[in-house]
Amino acid sequence: MMRRLPRPGDLALIAALLLPLMVALPRLGGLGGPPELWLTWVGRVTGILGLALMLLAAAVSLRLPGFDRPFGGLVRLWKLHHWMGFGAFILIMVHVLALALAAVPASLDAAVATLFPPVSHGAVWLGWLAWLAMVIFLAPTFGFFGRLHYQRWKRLHLVSAAALFLGLGHVLLLAGETWPWWLLGIAGLGAIVWRKLLSPRFSRLPYRVVAVEPLARGVVELVLEPEGRRMAHKTGQFVYLSPLDESLSAGRGEEHPYTIASSPHDARLRIGIKDLGDASHALQSVTPGSRVLIEGPYGDFFQRHFPSRKSLWFGGGIGITPFVGAAREMAELGQGDDVQLLYLSNSPDRAYYQDELKEIAERVEEFTYTSHYYRDQGPLTEAFLRHHCPDYAEREIYICGPPGMNAHLQRLLTDQGVPASRIHSEVFDFL
Amino acid sequence: MNKIAYTAFIAFLASILTLLSASALSQSDNEARDDEALDAVTWDELAEHDGAESCWKAIHGRVYDVTDYIPDHPTEEEVMLEWCGRDATEGWENKRPGVPHSPRAASRLESLLVGRLVGEDGQPVMPDDAADADAEVIDADRALSPAEDERLHRAMLGLPLDGHYRGVFTDRGVIQVNITFDLRDGRFESVDYRHLAYRGVDYLELEEGDELYPVRVQYEQIAERLEGEPVTRIFALYEPQRMVDDVDGYSGATLRGAKVISAIRDGLNRGVYSWP
Repeated sequence: MMRRLPRPGDLALIAALLLPLMVALPRLGGLGGPPELWLTWVGRVTGILGLALMLLAAAVSLRLPGFDRPFGGLVRLWKLHHWMGFGAFILIMVHVLALALAAVPASLDAAVATLFPPVSHGAVWLGWLAWLAMVIFLAPTFGFFGRLHYQRWKRLHLVSAAALFLGLGHVLLLAGETWPWWLLGIAGLGAIVWRKLLSPRFSRLPYRVVAVEPLARGVVELVLEPEGRRMAHKTGQFVYLSPLDESLSAGRGEEHPYTIASSPHDARLRIGIKDLGDASHALQSVTPGSRVLIEGPYGDFFQRHFPSRKSLWFGGGIGITPFVGAAREMAELGQGDDVQLLYLSNSPDRAYYQDELKEIAERVEEFTYTSHYYRDQGPLTEAFLRHHCPDYAEREIYICGPPGMNAHLQRLLTDQGVPASRIHSEVFDFL
Repeated sequence: MNKIAYTAFIAFLASILTLLSASALSQSDNEARDDEALDAVTWDELAEHDGAESCWKAIHGRVYDVTDYIPDHPTEEEVMLEWCGRDATEGWENKRPGVPHSPRAASRLESLLVGRLVGEDGQPVMPDDAADADAEVIDADRALSPAEDERLHRAMLGLPLDGHYRGVFTDRGVIQVNITFDLRDGRFESVDYRHLAYRGVDYLELEEGDELYPVRVQYEQIAERLEGEPVTRIFALYEPQRMVDDVDGYSGATLRGAKVISAIRDGLNRGVYSWP
């Protein structure tokens, strides 16, 4: 999914990233000359880009329904955020080293004085503190010392706000033109304030659990009814759900992402949940009548790239949910685009929603349903695919399922010459 | 990505530690460059290197040859050349107003060191003299201008009592300046002109747009800027450009500040006019 660059949002990001550099460039001198000069230039440019990346990484962590779409959905935006944080971390270390090395031709002492000047040069020490804060909140992200529990990682990640403040202090004391930094700083810190302080109060809608329908062992569908305003969504989108049920064994009040399985025209919100962790395990036995908070919708899975082309959907495991939502919409409308759904499951008893999907396939002419069982048939083969969907190479392909299945299908399809631009997939592996 | 981040992090720490230990272990060669070992440079020698072909600058009592560095310096060449051949401490301490150059710039500067600044007698110009942001680097033996010699000022005025004073400056039988002021704790208050005229022009009657109006503004600047100052401050008016701005083409340097000094000293001579 990162392959199709650039999106409109990407271009805006690149412009914002380069803004402080462009403003500062006339002050930085040239790249030529002896090592101490070009190293200084490199040191400053990497510092400017590093901090700009860090502030923008914070800015794109803004979770606002609709904001993610110019970036190709929230999952892709998260990946961008991850890469930007990584880039900022590396660039900032290059920044420090380059400036220190630039002073080495003068003397080693000068290099050390550059890194650790008298305390009166507060700007440099603010920079160090910003770096330290960055190490604290990025070390668990990049697994320096093993992985943290998700909720603890999330709390620790808030240290990023301190890093942003310190980094801004560092640059505002040193920069000739400060307005680009105010701009990016407000964007970055504003996103954090929205996300952590405002959004939990203003953008979560209360819903009531009206039913918990078991689909298979360890898989339920929650049926939710809005208490007030109803959230509008498109098929294939997902929401953040925070259960408030007091009797839950884990995850009460915590938000986790789940794909919507109901049709956009359904007054009730249906969410298929598989027991994959503490929180989703606890949700299997959530009390009907209890309340949940819903934030969203996010994602842009079914963006219509070539609406005229037929589609081929691969759903696997709980990854069937976006297709269930889309099939239900077709069932309600009694029609749809030409779609073939291939449901990859281990065995019939693990193919949740199968009966309903079969029934929809009988009613809606354009919708074809095929199931494939790993236990009986092994990994999906090209022959199987060609037998059931001879024109698969001509179709727009959507994949949602576990990472192993996704990788297998991507390989199989690209081996057959299906262009990567026609394959769309969504894997929630770090949300 | 995680591996790269971790590797970069460790490499970064290792580099910093290497730099620190290498610096700690190697004998600093900068300390050897104490003042005695440096060539002596006089003000005259310094002044010879005042252009782009050879540009020396004195900063905190040391002299640097910055000729080759000027094209690489981010500041415009014109601004850089302005400081050639003279004491540039002020420029050094004010990269932007109030912002000194960084330690890294200082380290680069050290590599351009050519000597130490000495006075006519061969005695070094103390770096501390120049470090005082307000003071210019002054050769210890250079005579102070009457406008700035604080000791002289105090000797001339004694200790006038606090109170209300009035004084005049007359020339050829005509009053030109009549001034009134209070002293409180030896400092000026309520400085005001009762009369201000020259060659038949009453300056106090002038209005904006009149040809000589800028001169009136300058006289008023004197009154305003003496406010709160110690009484010895009047001697700065021997060089009025120290006190007043250039206004509409009228240079502060040509203002007759001495008339104001005269009028004030007349008031002090007469003694307290009335007690506060």
